[in-house]
Amino acid sequence: MALKTLETERNVRWLFWIIPALLVYLAFMAWPLLDSLRLSFYTGSGFILTNFIGFDNYARLFGGGPESQRFLGAFSNTFIFFAIHMLVQNILGLAFALILSRKFLPGRGFFRTVIFIPATLAIVVTGFLWKLLLNPQWGPLNLWLTQLGLSDWALPWLGDPNIALIAVGLVSSWQWVGIPTMIFLAAIQGISEDYFEAAAIDGATPWQTFWRIKLPLLRPIMGVVAILTFTANFNAFDVVFAMTGPNGPPSYSTDILGTYFYRTGIAGQHPIGIPDMGLGATIATVTFVVLLIGVNLVQYISREPGEKNRG
Amino acid sequence: MNRTSFKFRLMSAAALFLVATFAFGQNLTLGSWRTDDVAKWTNILAAFNQDYPNIHIKFDPTIPTDYNATLRLQLDNGNGPDLFYARSFALGKELFKAGYELDLSNEPFITKGYSKSALAAFSSNGKVFALPAAAVSHGIYYNKDIFAKYGISIPKTWPELIRAAEKLKKAGITPFGNGLAGNWDILEVVLMSILPAEVGGAEGRMAYENGTRKLNDAQIVAAFKELQQLKPFLPRGFEAVSDNDAVSLFQIGRAAMVFWGSWDIPSFTDKIQGFQWSVFATPPPQGKANVIEFMPDFGLAINPKSPHVEAAKTFLTWLSGPAGGKAIGDNLVGFFPMSKAKVSLSNDVAKTFLSFNEGTTQDFRFTWDKLSDNKLPAYTLLLAECRAVLTGKHSPQQAADAFAQGMAAAGFAP
Repeated sequence: MALKTLETERNVRWLFWIIPALLVYLAFMAWPLLDSLRLSFYTGSGFILTNFIGFDNYARLFGGGPESQRFLGAFSNTFIFFAIHMLVQNILGLAFALILSRKFLPGRGFFRTVIFIPATLAIVVTGFLWKLLLNPQWGPLNLWLTQLGLSDWALPWLGDPNIALIAVGLVSSWQWVGIPTMIFLAAIQGISEDYFEAAAIDGATPWQTFWRIKLPLLRPIMGVVAILTFTANFNAFDVVFAMTGPNGPPSYSTDILGTYFYRTGIAGQHPIGIPDMGLGATIATVTFVVLLIGVNLVQYISREPGEKNRG
Repeated sequence: MNRTSFKFRLMSAAALFLVATFAFGQNLTLGSWRTDDVAKWTNILAAFNQDYPNIHIKFDPTIPTDYNATLRLQLDNGNGPDLFYARSFALGKELFKAGYELDLSNEPFITKGYSKSALAAFSSNGKVFALPAAAVSHGIYYNKDIFAKYGISIPKTWPELIRAAEKLKKAGITPFGNGLAGNWDILEVVLMSILPAEVGGAEGRMAYENGTRKLNDAQIVAAFKELQQLKPFLPRGFEAVSDNDAVSLFQIGRAAMVFWGSWDIPSFTDKIQGFQWSVFATPPPQGKANVIEFMPDFGLAINPKSPHVEAAKTFLTWLSGPAGGKAIGDNLVGFFPMSKAKVSLSNDVAKTFLSFNEGTTQDFRFTWDKLSDNKLPAYTLLLAECRAVLTGKHSPQQAADAFAQGMAAAGFAP
């Protein structure tokens, strides 16, 4: 009997250790999330929305009117922004990790630090820095291009609707490339030496070693990196806000979900500045659903082949 | 001095102070979005206290980007400031409709102190929700030294301005500093300082608002044409030149002129070194009377729930008079009192700006009133067309057509 109470006590005790964290989670994560889901069915001005309108906000976002035009524009821009990070930031990160994982690389620590430094800087700082570097009047980039006789290439980088989003995406990739580099590096260093030795004995070229050994074993890690990139970029706001502001100029070409949400739900469209919190909550909800689907999709794809059957 | 007695004295001093303020004065707070103006408001309130020593007002600003939301939250929760900065037009009306701004329509300081046009920006269906406290003006800042060197005199008409720009460009000087990347100044400061003279001021604007004129008529096209004429005279890469870049280009002497507003007089004064500068009014098209873009900047509203409504009214009465007007104009340099009271300002550039209003009429920004009712997109459409015209995507006629079509599509049917 005494033994049994001890056991139940042991079985229940863990609960007490979780409660504080659970309360914090409920108060600051779950409740705001659910409440913003609820808000997406309301409209009104001010902080207390009382006017229930069902799915009207969703109809506005997807109905083909001006709001839905902005929303779909922001959505596709966000996707492009994400794609730039997948292509540039993550592939560069993998390349850097492969180089840094070589056994005999002089100055490895130095390069590792250099690659990681931008990730430690505040986004407002890097955004402002790059805005200056790309400035058409006194930006070094265009000054150099002009000095090299390439003045036709000295474009207004952040002022051209065809280039601005790519420019901002590359700046963000530059800043965060250290993160995938570190993750991939740790993963590569975690691969057992035995594989490489066996491959070397079998006469595999470095290229074969990369394609047949490193890449397949990195697959779950790539999934993790893809998820991190996906969530970070579908929630992106700061770098765009710092470089081109909340209105997505030029011609909404840098307008992403984050800035559209900020404009709609928090700041209001300049110059009137009356936010539409209900519509803002709707954008947040849709973003949340997209993230939920996307994360599960990436997780499914990046599982090891045998794992899929286990669900 | 031993410690206890010091402590005792301190405490009794504090107690005395508390008693004194309760017995001999009232304490009010004044909410604002101007965090930079604390020192200036200290001076204004000191001037007020010379006349009314028993009303103590504390200037309590919130950072500009948070102001609307913070104020709304305070008012929703019933702990708003006694007096607060009110936005003109839609945003001000919104708070009035929610019952957060005292109706001032019948107050003598409103009816006697201000003209109808000054009150228009702070009225909702004929009811006044805020005292029109200050307005800003717009014009062209110019480098006097460069103008003198190339023998250019102040342009009186638009064609003269363009000729001056041609002369400067030939000499290798960027005529105007303005660009597109700020995403507001090209419309609010450039196009909207051209438009009033082109459309015939307030009357013309109202003709568009009530539908007697079409939004793509000859005057709107002409305003876009004037904007288009500026293109060769803007800085290289103007598509990516921001508002900060624009004023910097002028301030370091690389651009001879910049379209800008009076609110930045203090920062121009601080930053410009080594050359003489001043401002002139945006010149009207040949043969048309000039109309100045004179824009109400902020009003002062009273919180109806404040326990100090009478004291707040006393303050507003003082502000509407000559002493208050001078205090505003001389401390908030670049902002002009809107009352009928005659005020002589101390700052020379501010005086020049205010002199634009002599012998001309004035109007506020073109899209701020009815063209933005019910979230009509006049502002965003015109802004997009400024870019389209200057990047060569649209001709002036196409720009005006796109503006009219966009407004019609959004349900503008006067």
